[in-house]
Amino acid sequence: MSNYDIIRKKTIEFLKKARDAGCFKHILIPMEIPSKESFSYVLIKDESFLIDASPLPPVNPVQGAKVLSSLTRRGELTGKTAAVMRPCEIRAVIELGKLGQVKLENIVLISIDCPGLLPFSSYTADPEKGKARFEKVIGEWGNDSIRPVCMTCTHFADKAGDIHIGIIENNNDISVIPVNDRGKALLEQCVIPAGKDTGARETKIKKETDKRQENLNKSDDELKNSLQGLNNLDKMFADCIGCYNCMRACPICYCRLCYFNSENIRHEADEYIRRAEAKGSLRFPADTLLFHSGRMTHMSLSCVGCGACEDACPVSIPVARIFQFIARQNQALFAYTPGSDREENIPLVVYKESELEDFEDSH
Amino acid sequence: MDTFEPKIVGFLCNWCSYAGADVAGNAKLNVPASFTPLRIMCSSRIDPALILTAYFRGADGILVAGCHPGDCHYEKGNYFARRRFAVTKNTLKALGLDSQRLRLSWISASEGKRFAEVVSEFTEHIKKLGPNPLKETGDL
Ligand code: SF4
Ligand code: SF4
Ligand code: FES
Repeated sequence: MSNYDIIRKKTIEFLKKARDAGCFKHILIPMEIPSKESFSYVLIKDESFLIDASPLPPVNPVQGAKVLSSLTRRGELTGKTAAVMRPCEIRAVIELGKLGQVKLENIVLISIDCPGLLPFSSYTADPEKGKARFEKVIGEWGNDSIRPVCMTCTHFADKAGDIHIGIIENNNDISVIPVNDRGKALLEQCVIPAGKDTGARETKIKKETDKRQENLNKSDDELKNSLQGLNNLDKMFADCIGCYNCMRACPICYCRLCYFNSENIRHEADEYIRRAEAKGSLRFPADTLLFHSGRMTHMSLSCVGCGACEDACPVSIPVARIFQFIARQNQALFAYTPGSDREENIPLVVYKESELEDFEDSH
Repeated sequence: MDTFEPKIVGFLCNWCSYAGADVAGNAKLNVPASFTPLRIMCSSRIDPALILTAYFRGADGILVAGCHPGDCHYEKGNYFARRRFAVTKNTLKALGLDSQRLRLSWISASEGKRFAEVVSEFTEHIKKLGPNPLKETGDL
């Protein structure tokens, strides 16, 4: 059996056992769509569907946090539902929870070690080949057919949920690790033995993390050369067609109506003429950089680097790498890691009386 | 370059800095004529998008001024404003743009003199930087 199938089977076994023991009633989990060309999240009640679930799909067209936010948009769930997702998705869920955009009550978050995702467009071009490539990815960890943003992700084994499924260095098995009291109580309730981090697992994670960190440093250096400054930005976003797919696919961009998609930035013809006259020319779609930099100032503190934006961009702008590059610098201002601590507030809703002195009275 | 009169947009909190500007005017203190004040109800009204809009349209400098920490009319507005301002300025810096064209200052209603000084000092700084290149860039 392939690695992929082993992980799939073992995870499903665990979910089935936990559900039978009454730990949760419903399960939200990715599943291959009937045409076998892609995957989507499915909310499962009926056990016969569970056997087709894919806890670790090779591609992810819709970020899980977005799914949970539509599910609980009108209020919390009444019965317990398990949500099986990658660490970056769960980290986004936690950010949305802080913003009141996902109601976390009654959701059992189950994270799973993530070997990375394949670029969506390359997968759909040939799903069979894609599956073979993904099998190699799981076998090798860090193989370069995963999305560039995944190659630089150091959160791939974050125990982000209430329960975490460890697959790294697990010898054809999964390890069901309770992360917090809630996860611990649930596993006890359904009499499932709690797994724990083994030395081998930790060593492998450390090794992979170092590799990713190196990739990240390299990618940062590249971006310093290719992104920074007016001319570079102009080139980088030259192909942007202003479709706003990046914003729509982003789980963190939760605003019902985006300012940059509102009438506030649609102007009378005269105004565009005035701008063209003042500047000598005016490019359309207008306000491209305003849109991107504005989005950065609005949401980058919570950007988890999931890559959903980049997967959604029709003209292959490396949006996720760009946003992560900026996001990490903004997050550093407040030593904030989005999705890591449910009790920690998003930096923009709290403050210290004395802080950020460097930004006062300086240029 | 000596003829360059920087266009500086000032977002001034109604309760402190705008009143401070008034005091400066009444005292006939020297404030550069090219300074464009915009009255806002609190420094926390300033969404980063407003600063960025001014910047990308070619403002040479952008000043956000509010009450001193602890004195905000709405108690905490300026503390939140400071965090948002920091994120805005840091974003411009990370993008390799002119983050130096942004300034945050606290000016109370009685500090007419400080108001005039802040604006003059900022204007001098911007004069050294030169005009915002985005004034003549086909608006990205
Ligand atoms: S900006 Fe892109 S990488 Fe960041 S959270 Fe949104 S979709 Fe994910
Ligand atoms: S998805 Fe790509 S083309 Fe569309 S607005 Fe975002 S960066 Fe521009
Ligand atoms: S009222 Fe002046 S900064 Fe809030």
